[in-house]
Amino acid sequence: MTAARLPVSTTLVVVAVLATMPFVVSSSWLLVVQRMVILALFGVAFNVVFGAADMPSLGHAALFGVGGYAAGLGLTRWGWGMPTVLAMALLAGAVLGLVFGVATLRTQGIYLLLLTLALAQAVWGLVFQQVRLTGGDNGISGLDRAGMSWFGAGTASFYWSVLVVVTLGIALLYWFHVSAAGTVLEAVGMAPSRVQALGYSVGSWRVGAFVLSGAVSSVAGVLFALSNRFVGPENLAWQLSAEVMLFAILGGARWFAGPIIGAVVVVGAEGVLTSRTDRWTLVLGLLYVVTMLFMPDGVLGVVDRWRRTRGQPA
Amino acid sequence: MTTFVGHVLNGLSFGALLFLLGSGLTLTFGLMRTINLAHGAFYALGGYIALDVGRRVGGYWLGLVVAVVAVALLGVVVEKYVLHRLLHRELPQIMATVGIAYIIGDLILWTWGGRPQSLPRPPGLEGILRIGGLVFPWYRLALIGLAVAVWFALQRTLGTTLTGARIRAAVDDEAIARSVGINVPIVFATTFAAGSGLAAFAGVWGGAFTGLSPGSEWDILLLALVVVVVGGLGSISGALVAALLVGLLDEFGKWLFPSFALFTLYAPVAVLLALRPQGLFGRSERVA
Repeated sequence: MTAARLPVSTTLVVVAVLATMPFVVSSSWLLVVQRMVILALFGVAFNVVFGAADMPSLGHAALFGVGGYAAGLGLTRWGWGMPTVLAMALLAGAVLGLVFGVATLRTQGIYLLLLTLALAQAVWGLVFQQVRLTGGDNGISGLDRAGMSWFGAGTASFYWSVLVVVTLGIALLYWFHVSAAGTVLEAVGMAPSRVQALGYSVGSWRVGAFVLSGAVSSVAGVLFALSNRFVGPENLAWQLSAEVMLFAILGGARWFAGPIIGAVVVVGAEGVLTSRTDRWTLVLGLLYVVTMLFMPDGVLGVVDRWRRTRGQPA
Repeated sequence: MTTFVGHVLNGLSFGALLFLLGSGLTLTFGLMRTINLAHGAFYALGGYIALDVGRRVGGYWLGLVVAVVAVALLGVVVEKYVLHRLLHRELPQIMATVGIAYIIGDLILWTWGGRPQSLPRPPGLEGILRIGGLVFPWYRLALIGLAVAVWFALQRTLGTTLTGARIRAAVDDEAIARSVGINVPIVFATTFAAGSGLAAFAGVWGGAFTGLSPGSEWDILLLALVVVVVGGLGSISGALVAALLVGLLDEFGKWLFPSFALFTLYAPVAVLLALRPQGLFGRSERVA
């Protein structure tokens, strides 16, 4: 992952191109791009735990959905303003991340995966059944996103605001990724016993990864709920946890940009296919199978191998 | 009192269904280190095939046999072309089988539509047992007996027969097993066929219990996973104990705390896993 420094110029170009989208694509495609952008933030946040610290969490939908419910409940029931919503979402995501991190301290690999799944299902069960508070299966609709439309009225304004938050979020995680702390976290994922021997507390780093990942995932969840003007139990269903893991693996979990590419591919394919066929679920299933069988290192893994065989520096 | 006994029996019979499903899952995991998340889809597919055969051709037992055989064959195909290529790599196996579950789920929706369906109860077991104030379907009692029978058969086969020894040898050391003349690919395929067939069998019986509808494959999969994980991955006896516990927990949770029932099911599981990742009966060497 050390070679994966994102060139600043490329990033600026990508953000600039994304900023012009409201003038370029139709409003329905703008929604697809908006989903891509939001889920890319979720994917990058997820990869702090998955790609860097090597903890295969299958419970991240809970961290994502808790932000959505902070927005839904805060805006429609408790009269919060947008700054309060964001602050509370960060807090809720961090606290739930802390719970995940502490609970999984004794586990690794498949056991960590199953434990995070059980934790997320417990959260899902609470939300699903506390009907009076959360609306249960019907969720909460009618979220007002005026507080998140900083560039005047209209859908483009909300989109640009989302773009600002996502860019800041990804920049923050990138800054962490290239920092000394990010390097330690990666070492924790690769060789925990050696890191321990060097005097680092592996457990604290793992918990810290979950807290950071949870806080940012939760903000992505706020944006997602605002984007739909709705939040429901599907925002924290475990299928979403599997999907964010698919983003990371399909794009290339070893690279910072991997989950971004994965989100673009999956959400883009969904956007193209759902307008043409009812069989999107079938294609999504095939994407899972094909990725695991033929591209276990993801798109960036394929690119990397291609570069190496051509003798260029990767 | 009779209400209490009724709830106990309900819980135990649901637990029995979960064991039928979970035993196939724990069988393939315990022996082949494969967590097959398409197991719930195999369950649903088995139910739908039996329903379809029963309606077109008639005959409950014919439907049952066709469903079990067809899903077992599908299991062999999935093992050979997907899971065997990902041998000893658990995370890719999990993700690939999630994909297979999506594919099967969507094909079910395509073929049989989205309307919830219900399978008939097995012939001869439609009646109801009445003892005093207690009213209980024979079919559900039979399910409990069936679970115990399957547990006994699996335990015997794996523990004491030559076939069981071959399977264990093939898993523990593939190279040595091959060198003493065990056909390892056949052993793996057979084991996977048995696991998938058990899922379909559970689907045919369970279809009369929980009904069949799109998405039910995921609900039942999560419960089966809980059973397998709590019992200890790979432990058949653990799965039986865990299945009955989960069945009771589910039933009493719904009865006593209806608005917390899902939480009271998953939260204790999470606590157990956090403190004892290998489950109740699992071997601890596999955790790290």
